Amino acid sequence: MCKGLTLLLLLISCTVQAEPWPGEQWPTGATITNTEALENYAFPPRDDTTRKGIRTDALLIIHDGQIIYERYAGPTSEHTPHLTWSISKSLMATVLGVAYSEGLFKLEDPAAKFYPPLAKHPDIKFADLLHWASGIDWQEDYEYAPLKSSVVAMLYTRGHRDMAAFTAEQDSYAEPGQAFRYSSGDSNLLAAALKNIVGPQRYPDYPWTALFEPLGIRHAVWETDAMGTFVASSYAYLTARDLARVGLLMARDGRWDDQQLLPKDWLAFNLTLFKGYKAHQDEAVPGGQWWLNRPADGASSPWPDAPPDTFAALGHWGQALYVIPSEKLVIVRYADDREGSYRHNELLKRVLKAVRP
Amino acid sequence: MKRFLLLLLVLLLGWVVYEREDLWAFPDIISAYTAKEYCSCRYVMNNDAEYCRGYVKQWLPTSDFSDDSASKTITVSGMGRSNSAQWQSERRGCRLNP
Repeated sequence: MCKGLTLLLLLISCTVQAEPWPGEQWPTGATITNTEALENYAFPPRDDTTRKGIRTDALLIIHDGQIIYERYAGPTSEHTPHLTWSISKSLMATVLGVAYSEGLFKLEDPAAKFYPPLAKHPDIKFADLLHWASGIDWQEDYEYAPLKSSVVAMLYTRGHRDMAAFTAEQDSYAEPGQAFRYSSGDSNLLAAALKNIVGPQRYPDYPWTALFEPLGIRHAVWETDAMGTFVASSYAYLTARDLARVGLLMARDGRWDDQQLLPKDWLAFNLTLFKGYKAHQDEAVPGGQWWLNRPADGASSPWPDAPPDTFAALGHWGQALYVIPSEKLVIVRYADDREGSYRHNELLKRVLKAVRP
Repeated sequence: MKRFLLLLLVLLLGWVVYEREDLWAFPDIISAYTAKEYCSCRYVMNNDAEYCRGYVKQWLPTSDFSDDSASKTITVSGMGRSNSAQWQSERRGCRLNP
């Protein structure tokens, strides 16, 4: 009996150790070699003058916690903390998840409770901001409608000193929680609320103490506005290898080694589609500040060649962190795509073909 | 014809008044964008200067570009406005000056 128990414990500990985790460095697994079709798509000849076509800066594939493919192009290397643009939104959601695990706020709390300038919109809940469903009027275009672009005004002109206040001042166009409209303003309201959630003392270091340090991320940069509020919509910078650590945390149900960093119900919320989303409103289906590969509102999945449990953090100019738990895959793609020809589905299809024996 | 032009002028004026905030802010975009994103390209992502000049290039022209590498401050003019961005710290990266 005693012998049997020891054997069982030994077996369990062996299984636990068999799950690779990155320490200071990522472990390397069996490198994939069948990469021609993948590289033809991701790394065509690069022209930095015309900036046309698909321009991948980094492609990193992690399988079961180990690097199986890694390539850089242009000026980017494994040491470059690359701009993630809107991947920052999913990173802020992950930071908020740690605050949630401390029991500091609830999804149904009114956001104005922690960010008083939202008094003009008292019915917006945290869940609504996380769904990009605040109902606050917002225009997200970057390049094509610069005069009316809310995001350009927020980042560069009328809003750049205090981005959350700029957002809170806008009128509403819908009841909170009813309609999806992708909004960088909603994400920056979350960043401003975090200041009072964790308190102004902890706030300036909170993304590091809550998320980056536990994951062994050593070189993260997160720019702020003049109020010291993190620009959660746009301005986090990580190396590809460090962003993949966040992907691995998400792929393994919010657990990092033996520590449950994100509560399971938080993760479930992140990865549940928002019911107010209408077919084809965006390039993927919104969960809670993450993008899902799910059929929604009568439309088929956005990435038909990828498994249905695929989810992603996505950013301007082709930035992407893809997570496929069922395949134990985490994929980081950094880029400088200045035109919209890149397709998530095409990359995922070719990655899956290369990694499946 | 005259009445038509007058109507057009009234409509245009109405639009200018209605959009005055956005119209007033609009000329700042190009210099603010260039200063901020160049600063981050150069001092956060640590790319070389020549690459970063290409990286921030847009269809609108800029002038009087200066990068003070001692204070890591970038100042740019364009469309009659000037904006500057400065590197803050290892963790905070760059920010537009208020």
